[in-house]
Amino acid sequence: MTTFAQAGTGNGLVIPETPDLARMRRDTGARLRSAMAERGVDAMILLGNNSVVYATGTSWPLGDAGLSYVERPVAVVLSDDEWPHLFLPFREGASQESDLPADHLHGPVYLEFDEGVQNFASVLADLIPPAAAVAVDECTGAMSRAGKLLFPNGSPADAATVVSAAKAIKTPDELSCMRTAIGITDEAMVEVHKRLAPGIRQIDLSASFLRQAFELGATASMLEPIWQVMPPSKAEGVWTTHGDLALPLLSTERELAEGDVLWTDVSISYRGYCSDFGRTWIVGRDPLPRQQAQFDRWFEIMTAVLGVARAGATAADLGRAATAANGGSRPWLPHFYLGHGIGVNAAEMPMIGTDLGDEFDEKFVLQSGMVLVLEPVVWEDGTGGYRSEEVLVITEEGWIRLTDYPYDPYGH
Amino acid sequence: MATEVLPDDRALRSGRRQRALDQMVEHDLDVLVLGRQANVRYVAGAPQLWVAGTRPFGPTCVLVRATGAVHLLSTWDEGVPDDIPHENLYGISWNPMNTISALQRIDGAATARRVGTDALSPVFAQLLPTSFPNAELVDGELAMRAARRIKTAEEVGALRDAIAVAESALAAAVSELRPGVSEQILAGVLLEALAAGGLSTPSNQDVAWVTSREHPWRRVNGDGRIKDGDLVAFSAGVLAGGYIGEVGRTWPAGVATGAPALYQRWDSLWAKLLAACRPGAAAGELLTAYQAAGEPAPPMPVARGLGMGFDPPVVSKHLPASAAGERLEPGMVLAVTGYVWDQGIGAVFGREAVLITADGPEVLTRSPSWQA
Repeated sequence: MTTFAQAGTGNGLVIPETPDLARMRRDTGARLRSAMAERGVDAMILLGNNSVVYATGTSWPLGDAGLSYVERPVAVVLSDDEWPHLFLPFREGASQESDLPADHLHGPVYLEFDEGVQNFASVLADLIPPAAAVAVDECTGAMSRAGKLLFPNGSPADAATVVSAAKAIKTPDELSCMRTAIGITDEAMVEVHKRLAPGIRQIDLSASFLRQAFELGATASMLEPIWQVMPPSKAEGVWTTHGDLALPLLSTERELAEGDVLWTDVSISYRGYCSDFGRTWIVGRDPLPRQQAQFDRWFEIMTAVLGVARAGATAADLGRAATAANGGSRPWLPHFYLGHGIGVNAAEMPMIGTDLGDEFDEKFVLQSGMVLVLEPVVWEDGTGGYRSEEVLVITEEGWIRLTDYPYDPYGH
Repeated sequence: MATEVLPDDRALRSGRRQRALDQMVEHDLDVLVLGRQANVRYVAGAPQLWVAGTRPFGPTCVLVRATGAVHLLSTWDEGVPDDIPHENLYGISWNPMNTISALQRIDGAATARRVGTDALSPVFAQLLPTSFPNAELVDGELAMRAARRIKTAEEVGALRDAIAVAESALAAAVSELRPGVSEQILAGVLLEALAAGGLSTPSNQDVAWVTSREHPWRRVNGDGRIKDGDLVAFSAGVLAGGYIGEVGRTWPAGVATGAPALYQRWDSLWAKLLAACRPGAAAGELLTAYQAAGEPAPPMPVARGLGMGFDPPVVSKHLPASAAGERLEPGMVLAVTGYVWDQGIGAVFGREAVLITADGPEVLTRSPSWQA
């Protein structure tokens, strides 16, 4: 069986079997307040679903963005208060609310409307001193119109960078949630994989995955499942701005045919924490030697990256190892990355090898407790290429692999 | 759904885009910079990857009033309508400076005086003036909301289709309801049915819940297993062709003592709610309907516009002045919620889609309800 040599077994980072949710919220709260202190932020108003999950420990099955704007939980985090304030609409977050003291739990706010913002401002006036340095992740139009009322001390700072810095390193309980999310995903995919056969529709694979994942305890699907049929050649693929491959393309009722090469991608959440899964599958056939060679190349690249991944390495070190193992060219798509972070977002900082530039990658130093999804891509016309994703926790000694799924029908 | 990723139908697209352009005139906007998925789809007519939850603001679609040109964040052209040429597509970027440069090159960006955004982050509040050096940044969501609130005939058709998908998924989940099954399994059944029907894009994943016998709306702190006599609420929602189809029902598991009287209360509340769905009526009458029925206002909005996301009006006890100031008009489609609760029994939750027509309300949802 194909596998990567596990680096640093018996290392210092221990992931609990089950998460202690109260401890998780305490720890993430402490990280958040420390990131606020470093940036001189006294109070933060958070609207983004994922940031609210991070700041308050509440979680709920996320819905479509369109409805999520009007009925969404909002968090207010103060630098000198260990508890966040949480404004909850009906149901969303209701199952995990019990941890917060009653005076920190509020009814819903409707920040899409002037009336809702006025109501919110009157509550905020009691929570945030007028001279406080305030940050916000996003303003609705109604919030912008009421800027002077909400932010008497001037334009708010950017809260997204504060949250991003805080959540880069995961606490052991967060890692436990993520390992569970990934375990659910991997197990659900076993059943889906069995159904892969000529004649099945892409959307049937989605149906099977969603049913399995929810039965196994998923909180929500984070991404419409992707089962992209790869083109025979780049030239025959969908037009793109950069001339390289398109990814991800949406699933349809298209029936899969024998020999189709699929690049799969799904993500679910468990208690607010995301999984990521990607494998290359072939419909109803074993790989031809040329296709197997694509996997072998991918495996060499992944091995090279894992060889340098540990606390203290930079994102650029990983990019260089991947590129060297790929004969000098970058083994990832121009609009994506060699890898990305994951947590309350299915993709979060760091993004490795993007248009953020080499300087970003050089300056980004990996630390123990960061979680990366590595997803190198190998392509040769006529093979369908190869792409898989591996989720790893970075440790002082190396890494712990969270993904546990075989490479069938590839592999040795 | 088809076997190909296709742009929205031309009539649907052009009707919407015209409504958006009309509102740009009305709100004196030269350019709209849109980040919300519903707005982007409304203007561009291209299906986008569905991701759960709110997304941070970023310039995903730009509409220029003078030329009617649509510029779209997309690295490929699959599903992009032919009235958005390749040169108007700008690719995925992780560096906001590169997005800003792409916007800078848009014809009309340099001379725009008023640019509307549908939300704004501190980062883009700082950067967007580089793309639009002569413009004042203002709220553009009001213009989009005004465009979206009245549906074109083609949009009503799309909503009917979306509702039908949600209703068939609801039926699948209800058919699995029995004591011993878990809320989680019911959610899995519903999402599986949606996908088997062609759609892996739910509008709502909080699908089924046991209503509390102890508290008007709090969740039951149990293991999620349904017991004999529980009243179980179902909320089915899907994003189909960009439109949200929703339906809500409550079904008893096994024998629910006291349920018939509670369902009767729901029926009389619903009669009053439906009577309030008249063209010209103040939206606040939907709140008054609860009072008239002797029911407390529900914990969720009584009604909100149904379309590609949330649309006006949003009628909630928390927004009484806003509701009083809104008038119902023909072409609005509302998701109207009836909610009644009784100590020791539980709640009956029902959500219907209602089209306001010149002749009165047309209920678009047809799912059966429990009958004593």
